[in-house]
Amino acid sequence: MKLNSYLRKIVSTALLAAFSLVCIQMPAMADIVSTDQIATEQRNEIQRDAVRGFLDRADVQAQLEARGVDAADALKRVDSLTATELASLSEQIDTLPAGEGALGFVIGLIVIFMLLDIAGVTDVFPAI
Amino acid sequence: MAINILRCVGGIVVLLWLSGCVSAPQSDALLTHFSQETGANPSVTLAARVQLEQVPFFPQEDFQCGPAALATVLQASKVDILPDALVSQVYVPSRQGSLQVEMLAAARRYGRISQILAPDLEGLLEQVQAGKPVLVMQNLGLSWYPQWHYAVVVGFDLPRGEIVLRSGLVRDYRISLTLFERTWQRAEHWAVVLLAPGELPTDEREHAYFQSVSAFAAAASEGSDAIQLAYDAGLARWPGSINLGMARANLFYTQGDLNSAISGYEEIIRLAPDYAAGHNNLAQSLFDMNRLDEAKQHAQTAVNIGGSFSEDYRKTLDSINSALQR
Repeated sequence: MKLNSYLRKIVSTALLAAFSLVCIQMPAMADIVSTDQIATEQRNEIQRDAVRGFLDRADVQAQLEARGVDAADALKRVDSLTATELASLSEQIDTLPAGEGALGFVIGLIVIFMLLDIAGVTDVFPAI
Repeated sequence: MAINILRCVGGIVVLLWLSGCVSAPQSDALLTHFSQETGANPSVTLAARVQLEQVPFFPQEDFQCGPAALATVLQASKVDILPDALVSQVYVPSRQGSLQVEMLAAARRYGRISQILAPDLEGLLEQVQAGKPVLVMQNLGLSWYPQWHYAVVVGFDLPRGEIVLRSGLVRDYRISLTLFERTWQRAEHWAVVLLAPGELPTDEREHAYFQSVSAFAAAASEGSDAIQLAYDAGLARWPGSINLGMARANLFYTQGDLNSAISGYEEIIRLAPDYAAGHNNLAQSLFDMNRLDEAKQHAQTAVNIGGSFSEDYRKTLDSINSALQR
């Protein structure tokens, strides 16, 4: 029994050592930029353009101003949206049915992303 | 009397509001243009009537329109498969339906590239005219009471303003274009064509093709020959496409064909000298061939240009530098 636990200790220590050795010996592997990475990048860029185009609309800018957000500021900060935020915003914009209420909702989302930044909860718009 | 008039006006207001909600702008534009027959808009190149008779039909059981519609487009694309074989792959019993992403993934498993079309009715009909049945999603109910449904567009009749679907239990289900557009619009205009590797969509959007093909390549259910065929077809259509060129060179690289990879990357940086990822991948390939000095040059260029993958470029340069010091 005692021997068994002693053995276990040796084995686990040896394993641990082996693993940490592997970790240390693995240099940061240089590699090509993969096709997946390029595709993801392109997808982000398309979504960024969609959000920019949305913020360029006169009715959207009017709604932003009504909420005390400078439209030019909002446009500048699209660059720092994360991929997830971009995806959620552009999806909302894509599926936006005609009507005031829905438009207000998406603008609300944009404003929330900006407010959370000011509050220090997120770090989407570092310039604020 | 006054109350009656008020009711009447109220009713009209409600009706106007409802019809405003269910407009079908694309059908209206298309049909107006067609009825005028002016030829003023050269973008409309549609025939009056098209019907793809040879597309098979699988009457669906219960809620299984997903497997039935998918089998329809797969068979039309010469993949021998029946709806029953697809049920376990795309049908989610708890939702009594199929998810769109799973429909796309299932098509890839059978060696087909699933391409999502632009939300454009005319573009959809152009695909049909080119012989491609189009898998569509519809919301037959209302936005707040959805009835999701998959069907396959197999024809249209512009003089009668109709579209023809393989849908549910009806082989040639004819409905008005406007009604179709409303149900399709409520499903976010989701429309998909399946492409055999080497086949191209009528869709002009290079980025959409690249997205579809890269998802197909990542699924890895196909051999690299099929993937290369798809890249080659895309490059024949869009010879200057940086993304497709990168994808093909990357394929050569992962196959260990460094010479082909290098000439691919060299072509890309000739087309786009400021494309950092091209320099990085060229550097990595040269590095693998132990051509360290050239490798270092391109890695340095990539680092100088920077961009989204600047960390990767730094890593490439670092490993080349440490190899040079050894």
